[in-house]
Amino acid sequence: MGHTSGRITEIRLEAGGQMEAVVACPIEAIPHAGQYLLASDLNNPEEVLGTTLFIAEKSMHGFWAAPPIPNSWRPGTNLDLVGPLGHGFELPRHIQRLGLVALGDTVSRLMPLVGQIGHSHGSATLFTDLPLPRIPALLEAYPLVSLVEALDWPDFLVVDLPLQRMSGLRDVLGLLDGSGLTCPTQVLVTTPMPCARLAHCGACAVPARRGWKFACEDGPVFDLNQLKW
Amino acid sequence: MSKHDLTIDPPLMNAAGSLGFSPDLHSLVDWSKLGAFVTNPVSLMPRTPAHGRCVIEFPGGFLLHTGYPNPGITQVLRRYAGYWNRSPIPVIVHLLARSPEEVAKMVRRLEAVEGVAGLEVGMDSDTSIDRVVTLTQAACGEYPVLIRLPMERSVELAPGAMNAGAAAISLAPPRGAYLIGGGEIVQGRLYGPAILPMALRAVHELTQMSIPTIGAGGVYTQEHANAMLAAGAYAVQLDSVLWRGAGYHRFT
Repeated sequence: MGHTSGRITEIRLEAGGQMEAVVACPIEAIPHAGQYLLASDLNNPEEVLGTTLFIAEKSMHGFWAAPPIPNSWRPGTNLDLVGPLGHGFELPRHIQRLGLVALGDTVSRLMPLVGQIGHSHGSATLFTDLPLPRIPALLEAYPLVSLVEALDWPDFLVVDLPLQRMSGLRDVLGLLDGSGLTCPTQVLVTTPMPCARLAHCGACAVPARRGWKFACEDGPVFDLNQLKW
Repeated sequence: MSKHDLTIDPPLMNAAGSLGFSPDLHSLVDWSKLGAFVTNPVSLMPRTPAHGRCVIEFPGGFLLHTGYPNPGITQVLRRYAGYWNRSPIPVIVHLLARSPEEVAKMVRRLEAVEGVAGLEVGMDSDTSIDRVVTLTQAACGEYPVLIRLPMERSVELAPGAMNAGAAAISLAPPRGAYLIGGGEIVQGRLYGPAILPMALRAVHELTQMSIPTIGAGGVYTQEHANAMLAAGAYAVQLDSVLWRGAGYHRFT
């Protein structure tokens, strides 16, 4: 677990109206897609909890942090950064057709994977009902309702999934009959992780096939077949 | 403290539930700044995470509902007792029990373990004086015993715990409720600087009664900790401030 300092250098509005920010930091602090940093505002000693940051894309001296970020952050805000923490996405090298499903409050946390598939000359399709940011040229986007008919297309699927929507995932995927997915699937389970694995506090517990897993430590990216869904 | 002395030097420690089951020597925590380590709550049998667990921020604090999940004392001892024995600071095991019998069973297991410096027994917010007394008596044995009382009822319950053999009183986070979407009310433990005035009042009143008290609740800065010590606290427990990156750096 690393510990370093960072600084907000730029803030912009994402397509959905949420803020995302450039965090300038050492290269070793930049999280991989799906990993997270715990960030605290050094100028605000009474900030109650740290903020979980995910990468949306790399920038010149750090990375764009996906929304949401605190409204109080401004260019120049100094941050205490812990991490990168947790397990991120691991795309196999051979995949050519990547399906992305964004069920949370932003598509940004999945965007770094589009660059990865582009490097291997594959293609990517995003399914979401969220407003879309400046999406890369190689990414096609469809409304969520199209996903059920397109499930045969990807050879790998990634899902940005709020924990509270896990029980509805079968419905979204059209798998209410109990059948499984035909392609390997990884899910980024988004849920508050207040202790960032320091305490095993249990707030981020995710129901698994065998007992429980903690998103902060065992995830937040899981193979879907590890989870009870 | 009077009987069964437990030295806490420096007078800062973590609160149960804030740093896990054993001091992680590879974490960012500077253990030299803490005078003792308190484990997460440990129950006789495994506890799963609570249904409806949540974290809800409000101005100055947050509400946390987790159910104190833990693998039960058998697994805790198997996984962590070795680390307790190698800990650079005294380890206090926090017990979560429904009955005196459960307390007694866990104490018997712990008295056979090296590396335990003391026990802390947590009391429910709706506990009774009789229950405090019987749980305290069940915990008293070889180790000094801290009784963690609900902050809002600590003055009412502390004398019973002390008469039953407790070495000192510590303070549990107060419970509260908050409105979430759909008009649903959730209940949980409250953390953050907003509860410091309530905690300071409890410390002040307990120490006025000459009750050895370990202050806790809303301590986010060295000034907050100093205020607790000035109010008479024997030591101060830190909780969610430790989750804010290297939060302990604010304490000298």
